[in-house]
Amino acid sequence: MSNNTAADIRRQVERFLPKVLKPSRYIGSEWNVMKKDWAKTDVQMVFAFPDVYEVGMSHLGTRILYHLVNSFPEFLCERVFTPWVDMEKELRDREIPLYALESFKPIKEFDVVGFTLQYEMSFTNILNMLDLAGIPMRTEERGPDDPWVIAGGPCAYNPEPLVGFIDFFLIGESEEQLPEVLRLVGEQKKNPVSRKEFLRKVAQVQGVYVPEFYHITYKEDGRIEKIEAEEGFPALVEKAIVPDLDQAYFPTDPVVPYLEIVHDRMMLEVMRGCSRGCRFCQAGMIYRPVRERSPETLLRQTEELVRATGYDQIALTSLSTGDYSCIQPVVQGILEKHGEEGVGVSLPSLRVDSFDVDLAETVQKARKSGMTFAPEAGSQRLRDVINKGVEEQNLLEAAEAAFKKGWSTIKLYFMVGLPTETQADIDGIVDLAKKVANLGTKLGRRNITVTISTSVFVPKSHTPFQWEPQEAGSSVELKQRYLREKLRDRRLKYNYHDMSTSYLEAVFAKGDRKLAQLLEWAVKHGCRFDGWSDQFKEDVWMEGFKELGLDPHFYANRAMDYDDVLPWEHIGSGVSKQFLIEEHHRALQEAKTIDCRHNDCTGCGVCPSRGVQIELKG
Amino acid sequence: MRLRIAYTKIEDARYIAHLDLTRVFERAIRRSGIHMSYSEGFNPRPKISFGFALAVGTEGEREYVDVELREDVDLGEVLARVQEQLPPGIRLLQGRAMDPGAKSLMAVLNAASYRIRVPMALPIQDERLQEAVGAWLGREHVTFSRYSKKGPTDKDIRPWVKHLEGKIQGDEVLFDLEVEMGNSGSVRPEEVLASLRELENLPIELDELQVIRTGVHVSYEGGKSSPIEIG
Repeated sequence: MSNNTAADIRRQVERFLPKVLKPSRYIGSEWNVMKKDWAKTDVQMVFAFPDVYEVGMSHLGTRILYHLVNSFPEFLCERVFTPWVDMEKELRDREIPLYALESFKPIKEFDVVGFTLQYEMSFTNILNMLDLAGIPMRTEERGPDDPWVIAGGPCAYNPEPLVGFIDFFLIGESEEQLPEVLRLVGEQKKNPVSRKEFLRKVAQVQGVYVPEFYHITYKEDGRIEKIEAEEGFPALVEKAIVPDLDQAYFPTDPVVPYLEIVHDRMMLEVMRGCSRGCRFCQAGMIYRPVRERSPETLLRQTEELVRATGYDQIALTSLSTGDYSCIQPVVQGILEKHGEEGVGVSLPSLRVDSFDVDLAETVQKARKSGMTFAPEAGSQRLRDVINKGVEEQNLLEAAEAAFKKGWSTIKLYFMVGLPTETQADIDGIVDLAKKVANLGTKLGRRNITVTISTSVFVPKSHTPFQWEPQEAGSSVELKQRYLREKLRDRRLKYNYHDMSTSYLEAVFAKGDRKLAQLLEWAVKHGCRFDGWSDQFKEDVWMEGFKELGLDPHFYANRAMDYDDVLPWEHIGSGVSKQFLIEEHHRALQEAKTIDCRHNDCTGCGVCPSRGVQIELKG
Repeated sequence: MRLRIAYTKIEDARYIAHLDLTRVFERAIRRSGIHMSYSEGFNPRPKISFGFALAVGTEGEREYVDVELREDVDLGEVLARVQEQLPPGIRLLQGRAMDPGAKSLMAVLNAASYRIRVPMALPIQDERLQEAVGAWLGREHVTFSRYSKKGPTDKDIRPWVKHLEGKIQGDEVLFDLEVEMGNSGSVRPEEVLASLRELENLPIELDELQVIRTGVHVSYEGGKSSPIEIG
């Protein structure tokens, strides 16, 4: 690659930019963008999101960390997203290296490239981005002039398939951990020590996992024999936690994109963590304990956000916003103060059992688009197995209230292939969908639509279902076909998630280090954007498994034993293995476990082991 | 209060798609603290409207937008406050309070002028250039094939072209082009040049074309005026 200065890259890119889809993905001069001076900062980091701009910019964590790093005068943070396939072709044809949006400097020139791992199906994009940047994919092929390639986010709780590509992982919440890491990188620039020596130092930071200090041995049948940490490294890498969310950094002058992104509004995090304890849900386990922000903080931040962005909608985000103890006063406070200026509130992630139709009506005045509920399973029995808690009665009452208030579209989310699922549970989905539709008809509503969406259950690490296999694809597809038949009604619409993608997702969710070679093979054979159905190349993946002698069933469809060494055994979410085993037992006994935030401690272990506590503001 | 504002859309702002431009103005005005008027109905939208779309990547030296404000505000103050909130490349040039009954931009605008810079593929003498332009303008009909998903469609582009002038500058040719625009369509500058190359054998390098829209106009009986002067 010849001419790689920022000015050269910009000049070359501008020549073809009008020809690619959505050029404003690639120019980075949005409102509130942070263009800092390289000469006046010690450490330069680029935050890399392994999907397109519209997806990446909709992710709150990306926005928090971008502005957090830039809030330190000695650090600089820029952004890069995966170029869409048309842009990739132009870059490759012209040998232009992947560049950062703010400065147009090549990614390779940064000290740190930080990827966020939101979804297993974006793993190939990470490797492809390294390749586009001209950074060797393998850690051992990188030299002292190459950046540190790091990664964090929910998928870092099972980072093993990416071992070999990522120098070190950041487990847990990064608000305090990442600046500490960058300080060490700054020291390393001033007084360099050997790679090993630096990694030793950085491994001392809470939640930093350096895979090359952990050695895995395997049994003959492919299962893990043991995971051994080198001397001086913890056997269990415990996640970083922000103890006081109310005081934690939160940017109120976020970048405002030019093009319409997926969540094109202000985002305000009202609470972190969820202790409802759904047994399939990884987020509900790894973000414990529940910590709320105070209404005063939130109202002040809203005011600042409105002034700084000019958006007319604010989403109050969390894993389950209806559970936030001060939701009423906060929504009212926002509407009183900003309703006049046309600012509306949206509440994603409302649970049926904490659903309040008056609240929903206040916030959705303008847009009667659709009301979404997630019963997740069709029968009460199965909902008890997964500890969803929701009763049919809750759902029907919520649906009735919504129809009465004028909503005509109701969306219902379910999973198929859940542990212990039988035909009766599948029939339960049909039954529930029809009950909801009949309710609408009975209330005299015409033109109602009930959309039923089913995803395929993917067992995730660090959950009570981590030992569970994914149901075989052929049988899931039978269930999908059955539902398609049974849900034929002009009021009902059925969507379902593609089995082959969910299968690969399960492989990587439960995968080990041996999968790294497969990722590399797949990228070399053209796999990228695997989460996009129009880009997913199932046959290439299957060929890769065969070629490398790896068995996808071994990962996705094998039931694990409690005494198996799990590939993520050395990564600690704070929730104890004993608790997960008990929860798995309780699932099989169809026993519910209550929410610890209003009741007794359920003994998951995070608070006592980490010296943190539940923080409610209401 | 209804305002008509002239602005530039240059530098990085030229990559903002026309559909996204409404949001850019809407958010800038909201940040400035000036209150806009909203449409009625379930989903009230601020009253912001533009003229003919500018192609993504083409710079506009003088474009127009109409904005309705909830109350009367001093014009200079509005322009200054909104300017502070606009991204680089969008500069407000002039503004005027319009009569409430004034016609919309889409209803009055009917012409656009462009400045096009294109490298020569082979050396071109001025004489050769003038001859080509003259011959092209002398044609009564110029058929041009447009390709779309449905296949090629032939179109007579000559009636849309009101003015075309070329001059040599170094190893580039500079064109001034004025075209009519209407609800029934128009012609794109790159189409005129492609046709010029094809029909008059003028060796110009179309891949390296640089187009700037220098203005949009209200053209009437041979005269042309700015939409800010009328209405």
